Amino acid sequence: MVYMMYCLLFGLVVGLAAVASNPSPYFAALGLVLVAGMGCGVLVGHGGSFLSLILFLIYLGGMLVVFAYSAALAAEPYPEGWGSWPVLGLAVGYLVGVGVAAGMVMGGWYQESWMVCDEFGEFSMLRGDISGVAMMYSSGGGLLITGAWVLLLTLFVVLELTRGMGRGALRAV
Amino acid sequence: MTPAHFAFSSTFMLGLAGLAFHRTHLLSALLCLEGMMLSLFIALALWTLQLDSTNFASSPMILLAFSACEASAGLALLVATARTHGTDRLQSLNLLQC
Repeated sequence: MVYMMYCLLFGLVVGLAAVASNPSPYFAALGLVLVAGMGCGVLVGHGGSFLSLILFLIYLGGMLVVFAYSAALAAEPYPEGWGSWPVLGLAVGYLVGVGVAAGMVMGGWYQESWMVCDEFGEFSMLRGDISGVAMMYSSGGGLLITGAWVLLLTLFVVLELTRGMGRGALRAV
Repeated sequence: MTPAHFAFSSTFMLGLAGLAFHRTHLLSALLCLEGMMLSLFIALALWTLQLDSTNFASSPMILLAFSACEASAGLALLVATARTHGTDRLQSLNLLQC
């Protein structure tokens, strides 16, 4: 299990190094998909089944599809991935930097670093994160309403930004 | 600092470095921002799971809602930029006339 978690965390860092190393947006979106999948595995390993499901369904299904679609606006005839030298050099440089930082803090890593939620999981019907998320509907109702209001406001912001034709927020479109 | 803490801290710093240093495309900057938001989601969820504070488990959901707002506003700016300039390269955004 510890070995599996190390592999997942390594994939997390490699995926974000792939995003940050300035490739074409196609490959950056692919790296973000890798980061989301690995983060889902990390959350499952720590005992958060519902939050990982949220991450996988909402994030990958909702937001990254929009990002992958928007990558068509930034289309290039010759996309640069890790096959081209500047991108590969930047990715290797970032990974070496993370490795040096990991070597400095590695002395404090031992088996007890892996605490998970719900040590008495067999006595309860729900996982801890499910009952925690359910608190959003009772005690956190104000924040829920605020979030819904912000999402509605963002809808109108997006409509105003992409309207164009001399009436929206950007008149030059 | 446990390995999980180190992993999400380093992913946040990698996203921040990518956002700060490499600005060829606007979409690349948005993707780096999105990676930072993803590492923050994982950080909040791991905080909940490792400390057994289940009341805190709704905060990653709220963060995900706010990051959806941020991503949609950024992509709307990307669409507007692609319509005004024909491309999303940041090099062409500081032209005075297009």
